[in-house]
Amino acid sequence: MDRTRFEALLAAYGADVSRWPESERADAQAFVAAHGGEVSDLREEAREIDDMLAHASVAPNTDALAARILAAAPRRAEVFDRRALLALAACAVFGVVLGYGGGLLAPAPLEDDSYFAMAFEAPGEEG
Amino acid sequence: MIDPDAELVRNAGAGDARAAEALVRRHLPRMVGLARRMLNDGAEAEDVAQEVFLRVWREAPRWKPGAAKFETWMHRVALNLCYDRLRRKREKSDPDAGLYVADNKPMASDLWLARQRETKVHAALADLPERQRAALVLVHFQELSNIAAAEMLEISVEALESLLARGRRALKAALADVAADLIGDADGVSRM
Repeated sequence: MDRTRFEALLAAYGADVSRWPESERADAQAFVAAHGGEVSDLREEAREIDDMLAHASVAPNTDALAARILAAAPRRAEVFDRRALLALAACAVFGVVLGYGGGLLAPAPLEDDSYFAMAFEAPGEEG
Repeated sequence: MIDPDAELVRNAGAGDARAAEALVRRHLPRMVGLARRMLNDGAEAEDVAQEVFLRVWREAPRWKPGAAKFETWMHRVALNLCYDRLRRKREKSDPDAGLYVADNKPMASDLWLARQRETKVHAALADLPERQRAALVLVHFQELSNIAAAEMLEISVEALESLLARGRRALKAALADVAADLIGDADGVSRM
């Protein structure tokens, strides 16, 4: 890492190397070990800005907000009801299709009604 | 890409209350933080965070892991909601927008001082150009990777670094008059 890149990283990410891009941290540490004294003023300046930024803390009490948000979260019962309704609708459609299809596949009634006449043939006429 | 939230999102979408609670616990403070720093308004920040989660609940049953990390998607939604609000504010040019309303409750002097400093830094952040502020919020405060932040802002990593550097310089200039109060008094600033 050369000095130009080190300064660019310092200016962008601040004095804390653990905030720097992971791929450049080892090189940055090596640069500090070799040339730390040459850039001490810049490092100090970056550190001061880090200190300023540290005052922009946000420590919200989010309990009430979390409760409101969770009240709107999906619930298992609703999910189940939705799925149950879908399953019920699918069953109904299947039943209708099955009934209609079964009707179509059933043997057509015979035109000849002799079987009916035979069933009611007088017993005396037999033989 | 492994998304640590994928299972929680899937379960929350199927109505698992514990998964929903875990998602809220994990991400709500970060969403409020992002919106608070973008909008400099606590109530509006809460509205934005709530809207983000309403969208999460709507999208969760259809969420497909792999397209984008869930957290990145949430950040993008939150950022866009902030942009919408900032645009509406500009159009209305509300003179009170972002104005600090003093809390009259008695407060210990240390706490009062800390609040004053916090207010000044938030105001300085709010005065930054929108893109510089967004870059700083995403990278410095939300601790997103430079690649994720650059994608979100639809710019190159080089352009992101330029925004960050300009934002930091502008912030330093804006806070020059109170620098002595702010420097060396911040908790949690790690050192190189």
